Amino acid sequence: MAIKRVLTKDFATENLEQLSVYERTGGYSGYKKALEMQPDELVELVKKSGLRGRGGAGFPTGNKWSFLPKGVYPRYLVCNADESEPGCFKDRYLIEESPHQVLEGILIASYAIGCNLAFIYIRGEYLPQHEALETAIQEARQAGYLGKNVLDKGYDIEVILHRGAGAYICGEETALLTSLEGYRGEPRLKPPFPAIKGLYGKPTVVNNVETVANLPHIVNNGADWFTAMGTPTGRGTRVWCMSGHVNRPGNYELENGTPIRELIEEHGGGVWKNRKLKAFQPGGASMMVLLPEHLDVGLDFDAIAKAGSLAGAGAMVVMDETTCMVDAARRYVKFFHHESCGKCTPCREGTFWMANLFDAFEAGAAKASDIDLLLDIGYNIDGRSFCPLGDASTWFPRSVIKFFRDEFLEHLSEKGCPFKKTVQEAVA
Amino acid sequence: MAAVQTETVTLTVNGQSVTVPKGTLILDAAKEVGIDIPIFCSHPKMAPVAVCRMCLVEVEKMPKLQPACAVYVADGMVVKTVTDQVNKYQKGVLEFLLINHPLDCPICDKGGECPLQDQTYQYGPGASRFTFDKAHFDKAVPLSDRIVLDRERCILCWRCTRFSEEISGERELALIQRGVHTIIGTYNDEPAQSNYQGNWTEICPVGALTSRQYRFISRPWDLDRTASVCPGCAMGCNIQIDARNNKIGRFQSRENVAVDDSWLCDYGRYSFPNFQRESQERPRIRRNGALEEVSFDEAIGFAADQLTQAGGQVAGWASPSDTNEELFLFRRLFRDVFQSPHLDHRPGALPDPEPEDTSLPIADIEHLDHAILLGGQEVIDAAPVLHLRLFKSQRKGLIVHKVGVGEGKKALDAVPAEAQAVGVLATEANKSAAVELQSRLSKKVKGSVRRLMITTGPNGRGAKDLGILPHLGPGYVSLNGQSGKGRVEWPGAGLRAVYIHESSPLHAFATSDAESMWLPGLPLLIYHRFKSSPLDDLAHVIIPGHAFTEKDGTVTNMEGRVQRIKTAIDAAWVREDWRVMQAIANRLGAGWTYADVAEITAELVRALPPYAAVNQAERVTWSENR
Repeated sequence: MAIKRVLTKDFATENLEQLSVYERTGGYSGYKKALEMQPDELVELVKKSGLRGRGGAGFPTGNKWSFLPKGVYPRYLVCNADESEPGCFKDRYLIEESPHQVLEGILIASYAIGCNLAFIYIRGEYLPQHEALETAIQEARQAGYLGKNVLDKGYDIEVILHRGAGAYICGEETALLTSLEGYRGEPRLKPPFPAIKGLYGKPTVVNNVETVANLPHIVNNGADWFTAMGTPTGRGTRVWCMSGHVNRPGNYELENGTPIRELIEEHGGGVWKNRKLKAFQPGGASMMVLLPEHLDVGLDFDAIAKAGSLAGAGAMVVMDETTCMVDAARRYVKFFHHESCGKCTPCREGTFWMANLFDAFEAGAAKASDIDLLLDIGYNIDGRSFCPLGDASTWFPRSVIKFFRDEFLEHLSEKGCPFKKTVQEAVA
Repeated sequence: MAAVQTETVTLTVNGQSVTVPKGTLILDAAKEVGIDIPIFCSHPKMAPVAVCRMCLVEVEKMPKLQPACAVYVADGMVVKTVTDQVNKYQKGVLEFLLINHPLDCPICDKGGECPLQDQTYQYGPGASRFTFDKAHFDKAVPLSDRIVLDRERCILCWRCTRFSEEISGERELALIQRGVHTIIGTYNDEPAQSNYQGNWTEICPVGALTSRQYRFISRPWDLDRTASVCPGCAMGCNIQIDARNNKIGRFQSRENVAVDDSWLCDYGRYSFPNFQRESQERPRIRRNGALEEVSFDEAIGFAADQLTQAGGQVAGWASPSDTNEELFLFRRLFRDVFQSPHLDHRPGALPDPEPEDTSLPIADIEHLDHAILLGGQEVIDAAPVLHLRLFKSQRKGLIVHKVGVGEGKKALDAVPAEAQAVGVLATEANKSAAVELQSRLSKKVKGSVRRLMITTGPNGRGAKDLGILPHLGPGYVSLNGQSGKGRVEWPGAGLRAVYIHESSPLHAFATSDAESMWLPGLPLLIYHRFKSSPLDDLAHVIIPGHAFTEKDGTVTNMEGRVQRIKTAIDAAWVREDWRVMQAIANRLGAGWTYADVAEITAELVRALPPYAAVNQAERVTWSENR
């Protein structure tokens, strides 16, 4: 099967970040075409394309747009560039390589939903990417792609770039909106959903960077072209961020449904140092661990969900045979403990408790009952916390207990981490 | 007016069917059928936030447990609050809440009336599985001169921060840091300035926010609780007096939606040390220039004799914090027994009251679309809880215009002609300006223009209604040429005696310059009061009286609502004020036979039919009876 690339197909072109170069590759033709269409037609087109949100939840983008209440203005588009899931770096790559592609997508989405003011909420640490987008916005404004009366089509659009201040929770759409408004970054009650009452209490669509980057291509090539790629429930391609114990970590755009084996073994060059694959984690820090037996699962929302994990934001963390799964879980739990906003009890207290327990396992101070205690704490957090951050904090550790309970038992019998030695060898 | 058709929704909670208006929360629908769902963050006066996660219940067709405090009912909804899943989770969330809670209940002021403690007993696990060090925070952090914060006890329910944002609008308290390190505090740790901080301690579901005055004073189960009315101002906020060993421990709010909406201001709440009785005092009379202790009977006899000698040249001042019953007898004593018209209750010169003084009830502020505060902040200062009602109404769309007393024109211009309901709020000192503004607004505005006058003292309104005035009788009837002299005219009026009756140091007889020149030369000053003051030095007879905490009776707030106060503190060795007045009257041949306060109330209502409102806790309205 020939490799189909959509978003990254021109990334080899030099100076693609410059407007003139981007235009030479066909840039902004999708936007021009979109402006000739009625906004409703665009919404229908995206619905027909089956494009699903690339931020993690995989919600159909066209449907999300059509939830906006009729006749309520102003309405806002917010592009979520707060990419903060450990293991994810695709948005950074997409912005870095082709900021105009992202911007064009934002302009198309804005036009489709009838918004005249769009926001990009970019992760605070992404300073060069922030600069790239800022330059792109200036270039686009000079070229007349944004501002008043765009390309004489009577459409006004302005894009505001906003830097986050370093909180994982601000990637959650309602927390992002709260933060954008200048408040503490904390999730809001849903309902009302952002489509009804979002930014400043107005109808708002929040779309991920990769989601909007697909739009120029869908507009240019049509829905049928898009649905020809991927799987019936996962059209198009995805950019997978591969990291961990592989020979060639990096971003790989692959058609949805491509087997995981192909990503790791062909594109990633296999597990490093000729070691064996122990486990891998699709989707980012939140998602459940999968085993070598799952290598033939397709890279697709539904297929991965069926296998017992989630595709999430498209990360692929590879772990070789020397990895201590207890320690891996410990690191993730500590991340969630650190990033918990503190709004709801289960996440705030539960992640604190889990972090303590994992430290105890690593230090050899845990008890046999602590394994089931971890599962029980997970049970009391998952589905009980205010937002998915809390839920997600339990998924990886619980899946590790499910598949690697014997490693926990080894930590108990060895009174500490049995992998410490092998890790030291690996470093040496 | 046709009844508003409300859309209803029928659902079942634990198998019981319940029909409630659309827009009801699961929590409240369950309450309708007597099903209690445990909560911490939810508060009936604040918008749902669903942060504590205590109230999660099962709702059929919803995969996750749902927060009963934040999910609205729908037709056909099937809610289950007692299932294995819910029970297990409730234990789990309480275990979470307690892992970083110090569990210092035995030394915590809240212990015994603590929702966290109560719900842990009812729904929580018997023991914790948490074996690590708890997260530690600062304890006993002074938030202000009134409030102490224990950050370890805090369970981050957001009630206080939401109060600060949604109820008082001051945004003084905020969440700082995040995750398990989250704390509440003020900006830069500066002392809190709010006048409503006491409410934080009441809504706090744990012992995190406590009143410095009440710290380590009592356990809740040792308190005797008595319903009463705040002595602070004319608002008439309902309070509960909590006393231990016959000593006031604190004032707590007692919700009356029509008056205080369940809040108190700090001025009123923390005024209680003023009513703490310091000593077992006896009456004193001045003989040969020196005060000597005597029995009540002797003091009464002495006072009666001296008053007889004064003839009709006696003036009486009763404080605007006296009960209606005392005021009723005080007026009778002067008008019927001494035959003197020189009666007053006012602190100084105040414009004449009118029979129909307040047409705008406090609760109706919520239905206004424009409110004018004539005098600006001084209106709020005169009745601080008004601010909370105004702010609540502002959140619903009320526009508040704060203007100076001389800026009536500005207010007139600011209110559009199409306004539906306008209110003018002013202190009684600015009554004439308020009346003028009201009449000018009435000509301009399509809708109604009503007035709320903030009277002075917790019963200034009652004193006016009952005729403690030199020129008007009970019910504002004209005295037909029998007018006496008002307080400001007394110096130099040739009076031979003054009888001052004063129940509260907050509304005492504060002497003006002219009065301090005149009083020392006065032949007879009878000072019948609760607490000693510099006036003692000038008095010829000092008769101890009861504070509002020590007696039964009724008081009338500024909108005319007649409310009862009850004895909370036993001070039986002090003769009741009304008995002293009756004894003086009877010494002069009056033949009064009141046996208790209830008889006086009954006669008061007979004499003044609008006061039948007392029996319904309703407002006294004069206009309809004229």
